[in-house]
Amino acid sequence: MNTASVLWQKNPALAWREIDNATVIISPNDSVMHELNDTGSFLWKNIDGYKSAADLAALLAENYEVAPDIALADIQSLLEEMSSRKLIAPVQAAVGESR
Amino acid sequence: MTTTVASGPTPVMNRLISRTVEKRRPLSVHFDLTYRCNERCLHCYLDHDDHGELTTAECIAVMEDLASAGTLFLTFSGGEIFLRPDLYEILAAARRLHFDVSLKTNALLVTTERAARLREFGVRRVQISVYSDVPQVHDAITKVSGSLQRTLAAIPLLLEQGLQVKLACPLMQENLLAYRGVMALAEKLGIPYVLDLTITPMMDGSGGPLAHRASVSSLLPVLQDPRLHACKPQPSARVNRVVESSLASLGSAVSSGNSAYEDLPCSAGHNSCYISPYGDVFPCVQLPQAAGNLRRERFSDIWYHAPQLERLRGIRESHLPVCSRCQIRSYCERCPGLALMEGGDLLGAYERACELAEQKARLAGVLDPVSSLHKESRAASLRENSGNEIASLVTDTSPN
Repeated sequence: MNTASVLWQKNPALAWREIDNATVIISPNDSVMHELNDTGSFLWKNIDGYKSAADLAALLAENYEVAPDIALADIQSLLEEMSSRKLIAPVQAAVGESR
Repeated sequence: MTTTVASGPTPVMNRLISRTVEKRRPLSVHFDLTYRCNERCLHCYLDHDDHGELTTAECIAVMEDLASAGTLFLTFSGGEIFLRPDLYEILAAARRLHFDVSLKTNALLVTTERAARLREFGVRRVQISVYSDVPQVHDAITKVSGSLQRTLAAIPLLLEQGLQVKLACPLMQENLLAYRGVMALAEKLGIPYVLDLTITPMMDGSGGPLAHRASVSSLLPVLQDPRLHACKPQPSARVNRVVESSLASLGSAVSSGNSAYEDLPCSAGHNSCYISPYGDVFPCVQLPQAAGNLRRERFSDIWYHAPQLERLRGIRESHLPVCSRCQIRSYCERCPGLALMEGGDLLGAYERACELAEQKARLAGVLDPVSSLHKESRAASLRENSGNEIASLVTDTSPN
């Protein structure tokens, strides 16, 4: 499976707010509070169900001074972690794999 | 005094509080959707008639403004919120806008279906008022026969949906020692509870509910109860440090520290506020100085520019004329709103807080604790007495 092409969406059950370039996310099921810094907030805003890790890495490289390969590696790691925390989910594995 | 067995601040929450106080973001908003109620509690400070509640569209417009302004924590309360026929429309909008939603209710109207809908709309917490585990005591306060039974029946329905439920027990003369039963009930259900000794005047300033307030001396058994002092706050939200540290590698970390919160009387007007069913914006439900009305102004215009809020934000504990000199200040839970309503001065001391602080300090082993307010009144009394004596001496020594 090419994980870089999987499309990601936010978990719709989450409460979250971006306040002054930082984003706080609360999972209603377990009340765990997560905090994203400005770069994380930038990525969070762009996790919209239509972008893959590769798309997000390209955006990050375009808007921040990050080399594309480093951006992609960091983002893949972050997305996996967010997925394991149920903050995000693949739009549909089959769709992502077929891209 | 407020005692709770849940909801302790976490590092993320502390940073959030600091940042929002510093930047004046309305992190937490208490929004009463109605003052109408199906109970008639003895101690209630509300006028239950409908004087023109915000419409569904107006409520949603307000929430959109709140989301833009940075509000995350939104508490819907009343009155009784289930009397709003559009409650689910409002909750659906709250979910669409990504608020963390809590409700306060007496739960009389909660059914299996309604509990499921709360879950569906992403409500995280529900606080339920319970005055006693004894039906006669509870029902005498709510003035609704059978109300305790109905309220308690709702709790498992909410818990089954995975909602967090908390019991709230305001203490007054009529249920002063009932907290023991409420504590036991909460422990049996495995849910947190909060006891509240605050009984406030009506919002129009009249003192009806105060007739039910327990005297400070009668509160001694509550203040002395070791089980309450043993209650340690438990985190309501754990920090996901892994995500936090992972993100730090992609950019600068968020600001830390909590110095912005020091020396403030409370959060009212700094990062929290209250909205009435009629659209009035107050710093707090206990501070009835309207800063503006949402039918006439946008929330952000009121929040950032209302002179009432600006004045409130300028107040520092260290500048309070009487309380800043008080030697038992650390035992005091002074509320600016109650200072205004009961003492007539937002910056002043008021009798109830001073009495409670003295009682708590005494229980903590402080010898003869006297608040600044009482010290000053004693000094004034002494000056008056000594002045009378001098006048008396002058009179006595005057030649006739």
